[in-house]
Amino acid sequence: MDAEATKYLGAAISIAVGAIGPGIGIGLLAGKAMEAIGRNPEATGPVQQNMILGLAFAEAIAIYALVIAIIILFV
Amino acid sequence: MGKLLSSPKLLAIAIGVVAALLISVAGGALGASFGFGWFGGPIPFISLPAERVAYIGSYPLLNTTVMFWFGGLILIFLAWRATRKMSDVPSGLQNLFEVIYEFFGNTVDGVAGGKAKAGRRFLALVSTIFLVVVIINWVGILPGVGSVGRIETIEEWVHHHLPKVEAKVQEKHPEYTPVQTEAAALVHLLEDHGEDTFVAFDGSIVPLGRGEQARVPLNKIITFSESGLHQIEEAIHDGDDLDGLPLLDSIHSDIKKGVVQGEFVYKGQDFKGKTVGLLVPFLRGASTDINTTLAIALVAMFTVQVWGIRALGVRAYGGKFFVNPISQGPIATFVGILEGFGELTRTLSFTFRLFGNMFAGEVLLIAMAFLLPLIGIIPFMGLELFVGLIQGYIFAMLTLVFGVMAVASHGDHDTHAGDH
Repeated sequence: MDAEATKYLGAAISIAVGAIGPGIGIGLLAGKAMEAIGRNPEATGPVQQNMILGLAFAEAIAIYALVIAIIILFV
Repeated sequence: MGKLLSSPKLLAIAIGVVAALLISVAGGALGASFGFGWFGGPIPFISLPAERVAYIGSYPLLNTTVMFWFGGLILIFLAWRATRKMSDVPSGLQNLFEVIYEFFGNTVDGVAGGKAKAGRRFLALVSTIFLVVVIINWVGILPGVGSVGRIETIEEWVHHHLPKVEAKVQEKHPEYTPVQTEAAALVHLLEDHGEDTFVAFDGSIVPLGRGEQARVPLNKIITFSESGLHQIEEAIHDGDDLDGLPLLDSIHSDIKKGVVQGEFVYKGQDFKGKTVGLLVPFLRGASTDINTTLAIALVAMFTVQVWGIRALGVRAYGGKFFVNPISQGPIATFVGILEGFGELTRTLSFTFRLFGNMFAGEVLLIAMAFLLPLIGIIPFMGLELFVGLIQGYIFAMLTLVFGVMAVASHGDHDTHAGDH
């Protein structure tokens, strides 16, 4: 395997593995938020706001993996 | 469905949309492999660092800097227009600004404890961050940004890449003279980047050919052979006079010319003699530069520290990070140190969140413009508008949450846990 191939593989693996955790996390978060809204529709506003904040934290981890992949590919 | 069939107007619109989508799919890179592909352009060069478009004296002016200034000017102009003729019953721009102000006024008070004016000190920075981030994200996807630029010639490309390689060579062989170092670096550069491709241009900035295949590899622009490079390397190694080497001279002249030298035929079109280069966009979204996002993150986190010190005093605020291990126990000390590291990782995560999102968005738009030109890209433009807004909101809200956490004294820990 030459260096170029390892580079592409490394980038693909880093984003593929790095997206698993945040994917699960975002699913859990949104699921729980939907549940909360279903139980208490009046609280939709604050629940949504806090959900988006939580999503940002979960998503940030996927973005770190993406940044690593981009750095491997283009730097 | 019945409604669609009964109304000829709706039916016509539906047929039009489907036809436009088909044209866009067939015209892009997907269609190019079936012999269509009328609109497909070459994939632009994706560059992580911002490009230099001009020099002020010796100071390089980056295209992202220009875009940040542009965003700032737009913001100033909008604020001036909104407050120029203010009325008691707001309308238009004034109304929009009042909605934003009211929204953030209520949000900061809500997060800071629920009492009226409890979050006043956070309001200015939080809403500023929101406005700035949203505006620079949005002006970054205006048409023409990232796609209109000038051609960086091969000479400039070599000029930009050579110093890095030269530094490496100098590290390895400190005994080389400057001429030898440059020659050795050139050999390494050609060896490493011989397969790199450049876009052929038709004298103007119109790229020739379609799709990725129209890109010309470097070894067709600068003609050299493996054995020739070895000859140069040996000459450098032996300490020969490099002026007499014909291959080195021809490489230098090829770099200066920057046109396709070897045979390169694509779809019956011979590219020989055409200008080659990379497109350097004049403008590029400011938040796709990691320096911009780092700067905003540093401002935010520095201000968070200032808020903490002003609310609690230096001693009490510093006591959050430096805990006496004898009176409080070693675990509390360790937690305090972790808290200090937390401030650093928050800065980093601010930086990478915005940068990663916006850079990935840019790459997505480039890829989609390549795959589905004209119509197919429009939904992704909408997605980018939404992402830009959400990222601005998240940046502002996290600054607010961190600020509230910083001003809370040790005893009353809030429920606003917002750590990663």
